[in-house]
Amino acid sequence: MEISKFNNWFKEFGWRHLVALIFVVFAIYPILYVLTNSFADFANLTNSKLIPDSLTLKHYKLLSGNPLVPYSDWLYNTYKISIIAAFFNVFLGTLAAYAFSRLQFKGRRASLLTLVIVQMFPSFLAFVAIYLLFFQISDVIPIMGLGTHFGLILVYLGGSIGFNSWLIKGFMDTISPSLDEAAKVDGASEFQIFSKIIAPLTRPILIVIFVITFIGIYSDYILAAIFLKDKNLWTVAVGINTVFVDDFNADWGVIAASSVIAATPIAMLFIFFQKQITGGLTAGSVKG
Amino acid sequence: MKKSTVFRYLFLAIFNSFVVYSIPLTITFESWFLLSLILLISLLVNIVYFSDRFLPMKWILPGMIFLISFVVFPAVYNTFVSFTNWSTGHILTKSQVVNILESRTFTPEDQQGIEFDLYVFQDTNLEFYYLADIDDQNILFGKAVTFENINDSNFAVHEPSLIQNGDIIPPSGFNLLTGKDQIANSTTLQELSLVIDENTRAQLFKISVFGASTGLLSSTSQLYTFDESSDSITNNSTNTICMAEVDNFVCDGEEIDPGWRVFVGFDNYQKLFSNQRIRGPLSLVTKWTFQFAFVTVLLAFSVGLFLSLVLNKENLKFQRIYRAIFILPYAIPAFVSVLVWKGLLNPDYGVINTWLSPLYEMLEIEPIQWLKTKESARSAVLLVNTWLGFPYMFLITTGALQSIPKNLIEAARVDGASSLQTFWRIVFPLLMVSISPLLIGSFAFNFNNFTLIFLLSGGGPPVIGSEVAVGWTDILISFSYKLAISGGRGNLFGLASTVSIIIFALVLLISAISFRYTKRLERIYGNI
Repeated sequence: MEISKFNNWFKEFGWRHLVALIFVVFAIYPILYVLTNSFADFANLTNSKLIPDSLTLKHYKLLSGNPLVPYSDWLYNTYKISIIAAFFNVFLGTLAAYAFSRLQFKGRRASLLTLVIVQMFPSFLAFVAIYLLFFQISDVIPIMGLGTHFGLILVYLGGSIGFNSWLIKGFMDTISPSLDEAAKVDGASEFQIFSKIIAPLTRPILIVIFVITFIGIYSDYILAAIFLKDKNLWTVAVGINTVFVDDFNADWGVIAASSVIAATPIAMLFIFFQKQITGGLTAGSVKG
Repeated sequence: MKKSTVFRYLFLAIFNSFVVYSIPLTITFESWFLLSLILLISLLVNIVYFSDRFLPMKWILPGMIFLISFVVFPAVYNTFVSFTNWSTGHILTKSQVVNILESRTFTPEDQQGIEFDLYVFQDTNLEFYYLADIDDQNILFGKAVTFENINDSNFAVHEPSLIQNGDIIPPSGFNLLTGKDQIANSTTLQELSLVIDENTRAQLFKISVFGASTGLLSSTSQLYTFDESSDSITNNSTNTICMAEVDNFVCDGEEIDPGWRVFVGFDNYQKLFSNQRIRGPLSLVTKWTFQFAFVTVLLAFSVGLFLSLVLNKENLKFQRIYRAIFILPYAIPAFVSVLVWKGLLNPDYGVINTWLSPLYEMLEIEPIQWLKTKESARSAVLLVNTWLGFPYMFLITTGALQSIPKNLIEAARVDGASSLQTFWRIVFPLLMVSISPLLIGSFAFNFNNFTLIFLLSGGGPPVIGSEVAVGWTDILISFSYKLAISGGRGNLFGLASTVSIIIFALVLLISAISFRYTKRLERIYGNI
């Protein structure tokens, strides 16, 4: 009697738990492994295991004040570049979105369409041209040439501004035009309507787009790798993937610690904004 | 005047002074494309912000400047580069190459090896001065300078008064250095020379502790002279005339480095498609790019769909926890996950081979050398990308499954369809309607998934015997990257940008298909 009851439960639910558990292990094992290993007190990859015998902070300590692995510089660079680039990306995208949403002009549809089509090609596809272009800019205007954060930020600005203004414009369209018409009657200027009415009402989506853009720039490898040659100017993505290539065995503890530091804030941001991000991505993809 | 107007003119003044500052520089460096970009941008900015019309453009232009400069313009420039021979040894323009060659020097044979007595002085600022006793007519005194400063320094002057009856009389304020002092300063002194005339200088050759040190005359003349009318350079050392060929000066059949960059028409395209030793790698890479993008989407989609079906059951416990965990791989930046997987996959120390070792023993086979053989590298790339990609597929299929009306499924059941039939005939087709554009998007993304391929396997293992650097897991974008930046065989910018053009064409094709297939364009249009 008990056995047949279990069989029924297994047919209905049990196998689902079994399958789910297998994939839970698949999904979470590498994450847990690197998390525990970053605190584990063993020397190298060979004798690493999921549950360490004793815990230590030594790998994290190795990451601070080590001139060969200037990890704190990399972190600072990454946050600096990503925040500045994402901010201006959203700011300039909002300005453009306002014109597309609120102002009537000839060629509006065509230019919006061009924006979306242009951004179907990831900007890094033309990395050779970007490299050569900035190689020449280095001669003319050294402060934004190859090897500078300024130049890299400029490239990131172009990377998704079209798509972002398109997304923001879609959101602005949902704000009732009667609001700004009323303001116009009261004598508000275009800029006042934008800054006092439309921008504040758009803020929720602006935050989401800022976060998406920030994560995208934070995770970029190819453009940063092309641009930044000086070790102290690297981003985390370039740094940890350049320094730790030769000796995984000996470096494993430090690799784990630097991975945890690099991934945790992004993972937390992602989980916090998960609904909006995946919603935005899906909506964006479905609609264009 | 209104505040905003003042602000506007101030901005334009700063902007235009910046433009005026940079234009001569671009001309000096012959960066014509950069010059045209700067002119285009400044034209746009001035037209839009000087006039009171074009109100919408005032809002749009700031963002568009970046889109034009760093997305549209590089795409155009990339096309231009693909028609040139731009590569290591052909980086500069022709006039820059002529400048470099004309600044090269050589020492004529009849002036080599003249030795004489050389004395070293130091003034109160501890600067070094040389006195070269070449012959009675040439007792030359002057400041010793480093090589970079030679052109700016004064020529040495004849000062017979400094040597009287064989004794050295230092001028006042100067201190004669003994041999020991010279040895102590020898690293500095080695770098210094006394400039005698435009082509001749004297250097300290041998330091002597007893008696005078020896100086050596080294005379340099211009090695190459350019003749514009015959478009050739003359080698003054061997007196040969070197004619300008396509992208090099050639002396007696030998090319002089560096050459210059030049238009080569469709040469790069021809090389890619007809040169057997490059066509081979290209077709290999193209095939694998499509295989990789297709299989990786299929794998991630299958796993994601399977999981969302498994969890799509009412009253199933722990559903939320499972879902939360399945999303985790998606939340981690790929450059971190790839690094971690590289550790797990390490053939000698990694945990995956530790796990598999009982299996290896049972089957009596050698452990798999992950990422070091063609098959293992390709499987590893697919495995890791499935891990990275299935959460997204899980999310979108879960959403799509929940939006399928329940009564449709119940109706099928009532009509006697089995659950398999219901899935394949009803659920799956409905699912594909909303999911297929996302699958195409995912295909396009993985088509250019540089981060995964380059960081996990580096495109390796290398294909042996190929003329260009290429590996078994290289996709087009990483192949292009290796050609241009990191292949270890110079920077083949021209060829790399030709590969990029191929990628552009393929992405365009994929997008066109997806537009046709999903009528996305109309939807975008409708939304505008």
